[in-house]
Amino acid sequence: MRKTLMRVLPFFLVMVLPAYGWAQFTVSGTVTDAQKKPVPAASVRLINTNTGTSTDAAGYFSLTLPGQSATIEISSVGFLSRTIQVTAANNKVVIELQEDLSRLEEVVVTGLATSVKRSNLANAVSSVSAKELVGTTSQPTLDGALYGKFPGANISANSGAPGGGISIKMRGITSIVGNSQPLFIVDGVYYDNSSIPAGLNTISKAAGQGSNSNQDNPSNRIADLDPEDIDRVEILKGASAAAIYGSRAAGGVVLITTKRGKSGKPKIEFGQSFGMQSQLHKLGQRSWDATKVEAAYGANGLNLYNSVNGKTYNYEDELYGNKGQMSDTRLSVSGGSDKTSYYVGFSHRDDDGIVQRTGYKKTSFRINLDQKIAKNLDLSVNSNYVSSRADRGYFNNDNTSTSMGVSFVSTPSWVDLHPDANGNYPNNPLAPSNFLQTRDLITNREDVNRILIGGSLNWKVLSSGHHDLKLTARGGMDNYTLGTTAIFPPELQFEKNGNGTNGASIYGTTVAKNSNISAFAVYTFTPKEGLNFRTQAGVTAEDINLNNVLNTATQLIGTQTNLSQAGAIKVDQAKTIQKDRGFFAQEELNLKNIVLATIGLRGDKSSRNGDANKMYYYPKASLAFNIHELPSWNASSISQLKARVAYGESGNFAPFGAIYTPLVPAVFNGTTGSIVGLTRGNDKLGPERQKELEMGVDLGLLKNRIGVTFTYYLKNVEDLLLNVEVASSSGFTTAWKNVAAIQNKGVELGINAIPVATKTWKWNTQLNFWKNKAEVTRLDVPAFNTGAFGATLGTYRIEKGKSPTQLVGIGTADDKVDPATGLAVFGDAEPDFNMSWSNNVTWKNFELAVLMHWKQGGKNINLSTLLSDIFGTSPDFDKMTLDPKSQVTNGNYRLNALGTTAGPWIEDASYFRVREIGLSYRLPKEWFRNLAAVKVGFSGRNLINVFKYNSYDPEVSNFGANAISSNVEVTPFPSAKSFLFNITVTF
Amino acid sequence: MKPSYKRSSIFSMCWVGAAILAFSACTIDPIPDPNNPSAGEITKNASLGEIQNLVTGIESGMRENLGGYLDDVGVIGREFYRFSSSDPRFTSDLLGKGSATLDNNTFYTTNPFESRYRVVKNANILIEALQNTKAAISEDQRKAGIAYAKTIKAHELLMVFNLQYSNGIRVDVADPDNLGPFLDKDASLTAIQTLLDEANTDLKSSGAVLPFTTTLWSSNIAGEFSKLNRALAARVAVYKQEWAQALTALSESFYSLTGDLKTGSYYLFSTAGGDALTALYYPQNSSGETRVAQPSFITDAAPGDTRLNKVSKRDQNAFVDGLSSDYDVWVYKTNTDPMPIIRNEELVLIYAEAQAQSNNSTEAIKAIDRVRTAAGLVNYSGATDAASLINEILVQRRYSLYAEGHRWIDMRRYDRLSELPIDRTGDDVWVEFPRPATEN
Repeated sequence: MRKTLMRVLPFFLVMVLPAYGWAQFTVSGTVTDAQKKPVPAASVRLINTNTGTSTDAAGYFSLTLPGQSATIEISSVGFLSRTIQVTAANNKVVIELQEDLSRLEEVVVTGLATSVKRSNLANAVSSVSAKELVGTTSQPTLDGALYGKFPGANISANSGAPGGGISIKMRGITSIVGNSQPLFIVDGVYYDNSSIPAGLNTISKAAGQGSNSNQDNPSNRIADLDPEDIDRVEILKGASAAAIYGSRAAGGVVLITTKRGKSGKPKIEFGQSFGMQSQLHKLGQRSWDATKVEAAYGANGLNLYNSVNGKTYNYEDELYGNKGQMSDTRLSVSGGSDKTSYYVGFSHRDDDGIVQRTGYKKTSFRINLDQKIAKNLDLSVNSNYVSSRADRGYFNNDNTSTSMGVSFVSTPSWVDLHPDANGNYPNNPLAPSNFLQTRDLITNREDVNRILIGGSLNWKVLSSGHHDLKLTARGGMDNYTLGTTAIFPPELQFEKNGNGTNGASIYGTTVAKNSNISAFAVYTFTPKEGLNFRTQAGVTAEDINLNNVLNTATQLIGTQTNLSQAGAIKVDQAKTIQKDRGFFAQEELNLKNIVLATIGLRGDKSSRNGDANKMYYYPKASLAFNIHELPSWNASSISQLKARVAYGESGNFAPFGAIYTPLVPAVFNGTTGSIVGLTRGNDKLGPERQKELEMGVDLGLLKNRIGVTFTYYLKNVEDLLLNVEVASSSGFTTAWKNVAAIQNKGVELGINAIPVATKTWKWNTQLNFWKNKAEVTRLDVPAFNTGAFGATLGTYRIEKGKSPTQLVGIGTADDKVDPATGLAVFGDAEPDFNMSWSNNVTWKNFELAVLMHWKQGGKNINLSTLLSDIFGTSPDFDKMTLDPKSQVTNGNYRLNALGTTAGPWIEDASYFRVREIGLSYRLPKEWFRNLAAVKVGFSGRNLINVFKYNSYDPEVSNFGANAISSNVEVTPFPSAKSFLFNITVTF
Repeated sequence: MKPSYKRSSIFSMCWVGAAILAFSACTIDPIPDPNNPSAGEITKNASLGEIQNLVTGIESGMRENLGGYLDDVGVIGREFYRFSSSDPRFTSDLLGKGSATLDNNTFYTTNPFESRYRVVKNANILIEALQNTKAAISEDQRKAGIAYAKTIKAHELLMVFNLQYSNGIRVDVADPDNLGPFLDKDASLTAIQTLLDEANTDLKSSGAVLPFTTTLWSSNIAGEFSKLNRALAARVAVYKQEWAQALTALSESFYSLTGDLKTGSYYLFSTAGGDALTALYYPQNSSGETRVAQPSFITDAAPGDTRLNKVSKRDQNAFVDGLSSDYDVWVYKTNTDPMPIIRNEELVLIYAEAQAQSNNSTEAIKAIDRVRTAAGLVNYSGATDAASLINEILVQRRYSLYAEGHRWIDMRRYDRLSELPIDRTGDDVWVEFPRPATEN
């Protein structure tokens, strides 16, 4: 014991001596911005050490330093850091910080354990701050709030149904059948983003005829995260930046940091938004006369039409015209002492949809705590509880003409669907369902209760000028229960009298229990000024456990919806269990901030691979060269010039179950047996592998008032999986194989500038441009069509040498049909380019923010038009704009093409939209005796939209977040625009 | 003092390195499929319950695409037409309308092929499971169970062979990564015969009880199940024109000249959720999807033949694609009627055929008359030479085994496909189906 003590003592002394030994002096002062306003919570630190403090609300600090003189570094988010020399004699200072216009000083979280200053970054990592995320207008979901705010991603809403349902694709197509969505990590906790269908397929039968994909239009679970809690979001778009996340990172990684308290007196923020949403784009309805009615509905229809004496109803307004009230209430309290800080956030949202009886409610509660346990030991804890409910209506494709969308386009305006005085709905005489009855009687609801808890423990083992060692342990769990309730009462037209199943009550529960833990060490070695090595290594473990049970009760008894009050019940269960273990190691070199080099390696094994214990390795390397830091640099107009190159690899798992060869149930003679499934699992299956090379130049001009970032990337996705046909004498018809590769090439350009910055005026602008081109570079099986509804109506086709999102279909000679395949190419779902432009103008206390987004090119398969043509209800049916000879109406022109060419349904889906606009006014502080800051304003989402696309919104996907085969429209829930009044009060 | 920093930091890094190594070395227990039993697990050490599940799976799977198989054989054999509003290829491709030919990647070729091999796969899994199981079964039971699986394999492979004929079939398909070769026509049949014979070695006169229950035979005793095996062996023997072997096999089978002609092994159907309905059942007078008799079945029939109750006069003539019929196929009267795999009536006719070919006309005629009497016809009075008897036997097989999948195969093995009626100018009678595209 004594010996041990003797050994530890010198070490202990070394740790504590700097604080108590020898001469020391105290420096104090104030930190302000260029307008002389105090900067609170700025960090003041002895350079190259961890000795430091932060400023209080008045910008004041006081710090005891060793020796007689020292260099201190002052930094704060949003400002350029400064170093100044202080001495015992000169120990009262006022430090003015310059705003960091180009965000070079921003610390960017890129790895599991460390972060890097943006100016030293070798990747084009995009960051979105809280202000950018929700500062302009209130946002229901995080993914929706990310639209257009960074380059390199196609973000697309699957429909306008309340509660989300958004697909994010970073830098093109990264998988054909696997997951294509990014990995979300919230404060170090892996955040489940599943989309779980509610079993509507029982009613819609959408899967089965021509398409085996589920088209239930579920939301995705990232919707549960409250955007108001988020401090910042970092987006690692490709493998070159995300390699350290290994085998789940091929779709990119979105790192989310939530808000934390800062030491100082409690800061209370209260915000309230209320407003309204309405249909984004109205199409109108066809006007009818007897001739048209007879042509569309025959004699039977004509009798009906004559009997109503020309009375028509505006069903578009009745179904989609609900003025959805929106309300969002937020309250947060944060603060702390020098040892403890806290952030408590509460928010409640209640939005009604543009269809009656639809809407989204979410209540979120968060507590983030930071505690300094000992001088070298910190603990951080995050906890979040969310309860949400989304009523999503019943839309999208079906094969039973029962979804409200399909029923709406198959019902002309002169049919009366309204209930009588007793509330009895008439049968729709021309279609199998009455959409007003459906709207008023059905339920399609998702209820989520989610708890997210995470924590990390940081131990600074060593800290000196030369050596710095930090150990971190981090863990978290993400648990939720999702209940889906779909109720179709027996009195519905399509359920009663032998239609349907005499009602259906479909109740699903999904219990998700995910957890991850990791531990790592970061060792920084600074042999001399200007040379710095940082070594980090760690281990990670992630477990996933998802249990989905879907109960489908049919033949309901009376008005009962209880599952046990049914004549027939069917249960389906699907479990997903996964264990991943990995390690990583990384070495960084920083030579005088001029040369920044990194090499790293991640190793991962997972039960999702055929061999659960085979380690798959993902290397990375990067190099950045800050040319402007060279001593010989003297081009004063160019304040920053950085060249960078990065390479990395990452993986993507096969769909769950692909490694198993299951025996499936076979019912026989009153019992159930097991027969081998049709798809052969592959017990040697490995992950898909992405290899990305990224290079770019960052340029800062005029003291960084203008910043330009240019990036080119080349991303090869190899060993892509497909379920391929095999010799069926094996007993299987298909098998999982790694047989394809895709190459994505693209450019991203970001320009940010502050054209005006005076005492009263400031204009901040950011322009993003991005473009991606994809090509199938390997395909070991014959080219095949996939997605959508077959070649007659347009489909995707995977073909070597072509884009994986090319859209083909049958065609006429004019469409340039390939004689070998009988198919013509009608375009590509991938946009030609995207451009977004955000502006923030402040004048005195006014602030105007506008975010515009232009997507050029990219085509959709629009089958809403097809269906409304077939039923003669297309608003443009009688126009004559399509026929080159101007002889045939649009409706008939398209119908004539049915079976001959898929051309009319493959439409350009370009759009320009003002995604967000916000105008706010900061009330003079004096009005509130300087106790509170009050901001009032108006904001809106999607208020201005310009597109030629012949439907509600070119941003749509009948097939949800599928890797391929999004961009297909079949009578979706129409998109909405919203307008809000906002007030925030800060104490 | 300074070195102690280094030492401790180096020490810490070593510690971390060691932790990583230790961690990396730790293994992940592979997670078995949480949603389904897996073929890989069940073959390692199956319980008796799991073995029963495989047997039930086999007997369920045997019915899959049975309708498709019988449509192929029945339509080309000109027993009936298959009218379908959703697919014109039953009346174009299968009948060789105009320039239409059989396609190697269309449902009528691929579906029956896939489904039969799927059952073969399940039977192979059953064999492996029986070989490795540690469940309490005797060695004789193990052998009997494996013999059951081989019998099923032989039956399923024979159905594949019936469609593929001179293309031959793969018999060794146990390893999907290393499928055996396509045997030629004769070798294919021989391989099927060998399978049956191997199985019978372990079944014949064995008193062991099968380690599971089967619906295919009335008894679970191996020696009794052998009678089904031998019945199938008799069918294969006549396909091979091995008349003596056919007679031997018959003598060991459930063949009975005096017994019920319907005795035999059957596919079962039920209306239970998820179960299959009688594959060849359509209600009378259906439109859209229906099977109607080829008119010559009625016109060629001997007067008074009660087997005409296998067709039913329609209220309205059915007319599709230039083909017309007044009669529905009406072999099965409900949607849960069992369908024969092999039954005594066929065995009686096999007996007749083998005896006729062995120039034992008396024995042959005895069998022919058994069938004729049952059909309400007078005894056979025609010529007694082998050729005449074979003519008669083919007629009796046509009516006795109507829509049970024999006519086309019978005419083919006697090289008489050209005698089948042609309905439309330009129609063809196909000899066999092309080998499925995925096999090439």
